[in-house]
Amino acid sequence: MDLNISNRAVVTIFGIEIWITETIVNTWFIMAILIAFAIVVRIHIRKAELVPRGLQNAVEMAIEMFDDFVIGTVGEKLSYLSPWYFTVFVFLAVSTLIGVFGVRAPSADWATTFGLSLITFFLLTILSIRYQGLKGYIKPLLLPAWPFLPMNIIGELAKPISLSFRLFGNMLSATIINTMYSALTPWWASIGVPVFLHLAFDIFFGLLQVYIFVIISLSYVNSAVNG
Amino acid sequence: MDTQGLSIVMAAAQIAAAIALLNGLFTTFGQGNIASTAIESIARQPEASDEIRSIMFVGLAMGETSGIYGLLIAIILLFANPLVSRFIELAF
Repeated sequence: MDLNISNRAVVTIFGIEIWITETIVNTWFIMAILIAFAIVVRIHIRKAELVPRGLQNAVEMAIEMFDDFVIGTVGEKLSYLSPWYFTVFVFLAVSTLIGVFGVRAPSADWATTFGLSLITFFLLTILSIRYQGLKGYIKPLLLPAWPFLPMNIIGELAKPISLSFRLFGNMLSATIINTMYSALTPWWASIGVPVFLHLAFDIFFGLLQVYIFVIISLSYVNSAVNG
Repeated sequence: MDTQGLSIVMAAAQIAAAIALLNGLFTTFGQGNIASTAIESIARQPEASDEIRSIMFVGLAMGETSGIYGLLIAIILLFANPLVSRFIELAF
C-alpha cells in the first residue's frame, strides 16, 4: 500500500533542488494528450464547414455549451474568462478520468488544486479592483462595521484554501479507497468489483467535484465583480 | 526505547481520527436535507428543474466542505502526524 507521492528525479538548477514528482510527470502526460487532441482538431477544422458534421460538430457543441454556462453565471462582460475555465475543466476532467487506469491523478496532490484555486483568487481580486475600483473592493471588507475587517480578510483568504481542499479531499479519498481495496483483498476479488468503485469514486463523484470547482470559482468571480 | 509512550501517542491519533470522521453524520444529514428540499421544489415547479438542480449541486458541495475537512484532519492524523515525529525526536 503506497499512498505517498513518489519522487522520480531531482534536477538542480542554479543550486536550487527541483523535485520532479509523480504529479508533475502525470501532468505532463495529460498535457501531451490534450495538446495532441487540440492539434488533431485544428487540422480537422482547417477545412471548416458551414454546417458542422462529425468532430467539428462535437467540439463546437462542447465549446458553445461551456460559453453559455459561463455567460449565464458571470454575465456577458466577463465572457472572456470562458477559455481559461474551459481549460481548467478539461484538464481536471482528464486528470480525474486517468485515475481509472491506475495512474495517480494530479488533482490528488494538494499542489495542483491549490495552484489552480490561487489563480482564481488573484483573478477575482484583480477583476474586482478593475471593475469596482479600489474603494469598491475595500468596502465589502468593512461590512457590517470596521471591527469586522480581520474576520473578512480571513474569510477572503479562506476562499482558495476551501476551494482547493474540496477537490483534493475528494480525489485523495478516491485514491485511498481504491488503493486499500486492491491491497486488502485477495486476487480474485479484484476482477469485477473495482470497476464499480472506479465508476462511483473516480468518474461520478470526481467529475461532479470538477464541475463544482469550476462553478464555485465562477460564482466567486461573479460576486466579486457584480457585487 | 520508550515504545509505550509512542504507542499511546499512536492510539490517541487513531481515536482522534475516528472522532474527526464522525462529522460525516451531520454532513450527510444536511446533504439529505438539501436534496429532499430540492426534490420538493422540483415537484412543485417542474419547469424550473434545471435551475434548481444546478443550485442544489452547489449547495451540496458547500455542505460537503465540512465533511471533507474532517476527512483531511483524519488523514493528517493517520499519515502525517506532526506529534509522532516530534515524540520520536524527543524520546530517542
